[in-house]
Amino acid sequence: MSATTAAAPPRSTISLHKLGVFCGLAAAVWLGSAEAPTKLVSAGFSPFLLSMGMVMGAFVARWTLPTMLKGTEFLYHDLRERPHLIVWALVGGMLWAVANTLTIFGIRSVGLAIAFPLWNTNSLVGLFWGWLFFKELRGSRAKDWLKVIGGAAAIVVGAAVLVIATVQQNAGATGKTGIGILAVLGAGVLWGTMYIPYRKAYLSGMNPLSFVTIFTFGELGTVFTLGCFFYGGVGPLAAELQRARPMLFWPFLGGFCWVIGDLFQQYAAKYVGIGRGIPLSNTNQLLGLAWGALVFGEFSGLSTGGRLTILLGSIIMIAGAISISMAAPPASELENWRAASQRECDRYGLNQEEVTAIVDGDDPATEQKRTRRWWEWLIVASACGIFIWLAAGTRVQPIAVNLPWMIALIAGALVTLGLCGTLLWRRTRFS
Amino acid sequence: MKHSRVAAILTDVHLWVPLVVLALGTALLMALR
Repeated sequence: MSATTAAAPPRSTISLHKLGVFCGLAAAVWLGSAEAPTKLVSAGFSPFLLSMGMVMGAFVARWTLPTMLKGTEFLYHDLRERPHLIVWALVGGMLWAVANTLTIFGIRSVGLAIAFPLWNTNSLVGLFWGWLFFKELRGSRAKDWLKVIGGAAAIVVGAAVLVIATVQQNAGATGKTGIGILAVLGAGVLWGTMYIPYRKAYLSGMNPLSFVTIFTFGELGTVFTLGCFFYGGVGPLAAELQRARPMLFWPFLGGFCWVIGDLFQQYAAKYVGIGRGIPLSNTNQLLGLAWGALVFGEFSGLSTGGRLTILLGSIIMIAGAISISMAAPPASELENWRAASQRECDRYGLNQEEVTAIVDGDDPATEQKRTRRWWEWLIVASACGIFIWLAAGTRVQPIAVNLPWMIALIAGALVTLGLCGTLLWRRTRFS
Repeated sequence: MKHSRVAAILTDVHLWVPLVVLALGTALLMALR
């Protein structure tokens, strides 16, 4: 079975900075929504099972979506051009898996609405690595430094306000709260460091869709290894997965949604850098709060003061992220970005001219006609089959939800996906 | 993969920093379990 792509509409002329900002916002919507299924932790299921469910869903998504969008021929060509980045994609996946497991510990101890803003401090870590290794902010104007550093400081202050609120609201359970905070802050460092592989890949001209197909082996392998370690082998782990079968659909779905957000985040990291793109996508805190408060009723037992404190901390963090995202890189900073890209080309023997075109969203390979292979349809059909199989055996979990708000949030996420996905295609052809 | 490329990977600070952080994060996870 084969088919050839039809003639594409003319390219959009939107600036890469604006495109990156839109991708960051779309990432926020989907990353925020994807964490909602981890609420099931409070229903008595193991954090490892939930983490594994999410990662398995992510594994399916990280193969299915790139195959649907670009085809396996394009992905293979991209990986063959830059084989060294396979190492970084695997390490990035391993970092993601350990961080994700830590966040589930955190959610169990301090709740989804509190855990979200704390692990979002990963943007500060990413900002530092972007400056240190990839020359982000180098050569920029004083006002841009102020916007970015001021924004980063605001995120720290916002996080501190939320920590204070957490301790007050969990009086009498400080030991558990401390563990939860430590876990989510640790996850923030791991996720912040995970952006090193992201940025390195994109400054080398790798396509985000190719990157995630390898990345997923690192995350699935790590979670499986951790699961075997904690459960005492493959047999006990498999037995636990079988026991969790009635709820496995939800974290699986969460993992799939996470990948949609992650892909938008990858494109944001590519087109505006990790120092700017990650804080923007980290406004997923808003969606986490919306799901926690509106759908799961997490704030129902809190005092007015506690709610106001959480709201204040959230607003400060968001203002910081907005400030950072408004600092468009000037030409002098873009020169430094090119120097960072040149470093990769020199070190790994890449074609600088081709890499520059790809970094600018004009990958010549995306214009080439490609043929659909039969196994691509098989991959998509297998993914659909897995979801149908899991959904068929799913039981309703004993957790109260507000259905109208849930429908509204899901509809908003789908509209965002359609709009931003179209924009990305029209401007870069998913380059 | 060429020998020179392998050497470039192994001596790249962009690799060692994530590996060290990964080791520390895994240690934290083990301590918290």
